[in-house]
Amino acid sequence: MQLVLSDIAKHLNNKFFFFNYKMRLNILIGGEAGQGANTIAEIVSDILVNYGYYVFNYKDYQSLIRGGHNFNIISISEKPIASYESKLDIILAMDKKTIDLHKNFLDKKGIVINARKFENFKRNMNLASLGSLIKILGIDKEVFISRIKKKFKNKECVIASQSGFDSQKNLFNFKRIKNKIYLMSGSEGVAEGAVSSGLNRYIAYPMTPATPVMHRLAAMQNNKQNNLMVFQAENEIAVINSALGASFAGANVMVGTSGGGFDLMSEGLSLQGMLEIPLTVYLASRAGPATGVPTYNSQADLNVALRAGHGEFPRVIVAPGDSLDSFQLTNQALYLSSKLNVLSIILSDKNVAESQFSFSESVKRGILKIVKNRKIPSEGFVKVSSYEHDKFGNTIEDAELVVKGYENRLRKYNELKKACSKFNMFKIYGKKNSKNLVMGWGSTKGVILDTIDNLDCKFLQILYLKPMSDKIKKELEKVENIILVEYNSTGQLGRLIREKTGIKILEKNRILKYDTRPFASDELKNEIKRRLR
Amino acid sequence: MKKEKIKNQLSTKQEITWCPGCLNFSILESVKNTIADLIKEKKYNKKDFAFVTGIGCHAKIFDYLNLSGFYGLHGRVLPTALGIKIGNPNLKVLGFGGDGDTYSEGISHFIHAFRYNADMTMIVHDNQSFSLTTGQATATSQKGFKTKAEPFGEIHEPLNPVKIALACGGSFIARCNPLDIKHTSLILRKAIEHKGFSYVEMIQKCLIFNPEMNNLDKLMYKVKDNTDYKKAQKLVEEWDYNSNKGKIPLGILYKSKKQIFEEKYPQLKKMLK
Repeated sequence: MQLVLSDIAKHLNNKFFFFNYKMRLNILIGGEAGQGANTIAEIVSDILVNYGYYVFNYKDYQSLIRGGHNFNIISISEKPIASYESKLDIILAMDKKTIDLHKNFLDKKGIVINARKFENFKRNMNLASLGSLIKILGIDKEVFISRIKKKFKNKECVIASQSGFDSQKNLFNFKRIKNKIYLMSGSEGVAEGAVSSGLNRYIAYPMTPATPVMHRLAAMQNNKQNNLMVFQAENEIAVINSALGASFAGANVMVGTSGGGFDLMSEGLSLQGMLEIPLTVYLASRAGPATGVPTYNSQADLNVALRAGHGEFPRVIVAPGDSLDSFQLTNQALYLSSKLNVLSIILSDKNVAESQFSFSESVKRGILKIVKNRKIPSEGFVKVSSYEHDKFGNTIEDAELVVKGYENRLRKYNELKKACSKFNMFKIYGKKNSKNLVMGWGSTKGVILDTIDNLDCKFLQILYLKPMSDKIKKELEKVENIILVEYNSTGQLGRLIREKTGIKILEKNRILKYDTRPFASDELKNEIKRRLR
Repeated sequence: MKKEKIKNQLSTKQEITWCPGCLNFSILESVKNTIADLIKEKKYNKKDFAFVTGIGCHAKIFDYLNLSGFYGLHGRVLPTALGIKIGNPNLKVLGFGGDGDTYSEGISHFIHAFRYNADMTMIVHDNQSFSLTTGQATATSQKGFKTKAEPFGEIHEPLNPVKIALACGGSFIARCNPLDIKHTSLILRKAIEHKGFSYVEMIQKCLIFNPEMNNLDKLMYKVKDNTDYKKAQKLVEEWDYNSNKGKIPLGILYKSKKQIFEEKYPQLKKMLK
């Protein structure tokens, strides 16, 4: 049932409106690109987090600047969550299209806030409708208005927000609760993690969904605590070669890109393998092949991350599942790369990079600083070479010396494996003794965790895809039933697990989603439930 | 320290595998001369230098020059060199590339290098052919050049790299005949001392694969250091890289003052000594 604002009062007595904090509330905010749906979604998420609630903010946008249809879905709970449900409680619509496209998902008792009522506020229509939403949620007016004043130093914005707020009655009653909750997107996690590790050079060429990390780091430049410099090169080939040049000269470097740009960097990855100087690559994947569906999600780049670059050389690949993972794994990737002079790849995906996650643990603990485990030119003579070379950097072609080069790289991989084992290379969640195991990596983490709560199963999240922990085989052998969840069409993790352990995941137990949209938690729950033993 | 002793220190014990009579020997000699002079005059220490090479005959210089160095990928000398400046703006960076390297595989970087104007030097060994891959046509090979890949002759006209450099806003554009070691050393010194991106094009013979272009010396003449843009426009067009007729001006074809990369970024500027 849809309601317009004037109808809401009639429903005040409905018990639904007394928000049960154990429940989840799902709010969709949609409109044309440029109408400011994402801006208000971030404000409401931020306010609720400050109130002590866990919030997940999913961002769905098209590859255009004005028009089209963009939306956010915000899920709110008193317990940790990192996904949304398909049933919507509130739709805040900036245009008719938002109502038409999403009304079928609105709960029978759900509400529609029609922002067109505030058309007289013109550009600030979004803020007036945000005011309505805030009032409906029962949030304190002063908290809201001071937040608006802080963000927009403009009177009209405040007036629009106030008018929207005053036009409503509260239907929910969100009270502050005693939780210290942090809100962060995966991209912010990568950027903050990198700077905390001691990163001082970020080189990139713009590509969705990796660009938010470049934007975030660019904003952190010229700060007294770091000498961070962000450089946008002419193309990804220049990016990777400049990064290696900077690393050679002594900088702490990271580059960032998505699938297409990563392909262009491939020769440079191989060069790193021969040079043996630190290099960390942030790879945020989106739906391919080719240009694919550029602003939507996919986990189809695991294969290319594992194998890009000709020849054989060691690398580490970590895959964060949310913003906290993004922070910690970026730190580990930079540390390992600097410690062992190897290639590190942070394999994220659009839903991790661009969703906002909430968590209660401070990220600022146990940060490992980037180390310098190599000689650099300003300290004396140092030669690095793309040719097979002796220990002085001189080109060699002699068979015996070539073998030495290979053996050095193989030995380095073993050292890397040992170094990685000090970190959590995988995590097990849920019922530890269950005979059912759900396996996943990257952005499936949040939705799997939200799903398995009341089910007889555990969740194996793989954080290190290369090197892969030998203990994973033991974990898989302990259970009777393995279920794979991935956002790709070929089950790339499943294939990697078979390569590493010999364990084959049954065809019927592969839950593969490749419509480029994330699972709603209830949707995934049904998929997992019917595969449990 | 005597210059000869410094030159010896700049040499390595690696066996030199260039063809006998190759002009790469002369380029190596000029580079050592220039750097030895700069070290002797205490303008720089050996450890202030870092050099980058691409892939090809020219790049073997990596093994023969005893300075900190980066043997990079084919075509990627310029972004690698720029990266070194991004990492440590105090290093004196020399890039060595071939014509295949710089004008075919890496032409996009060549164009952008003039925009960035980082304080570094790019030396292009232009022998108008891919020689280490046994003689195919590059972007500067003359029309009609018969190769194993184009048995009926190269069908396209060459591009003119010094004209591109001028059009892209180059702040130091020079051309040398490496046979003239004295003049080449002088130009290289001015290139290294230029504040900004200095580009030195070496008109180099390939004795093996492109002998048709080996008789250019008689066309060459030296110009005085030029700072006049209008004159530069004429100088860069005097020779079209296509014929063995006309005149080939050598020396500094154009020089101007422009803000350098390292001063555009406060992060680099504050690191400068």
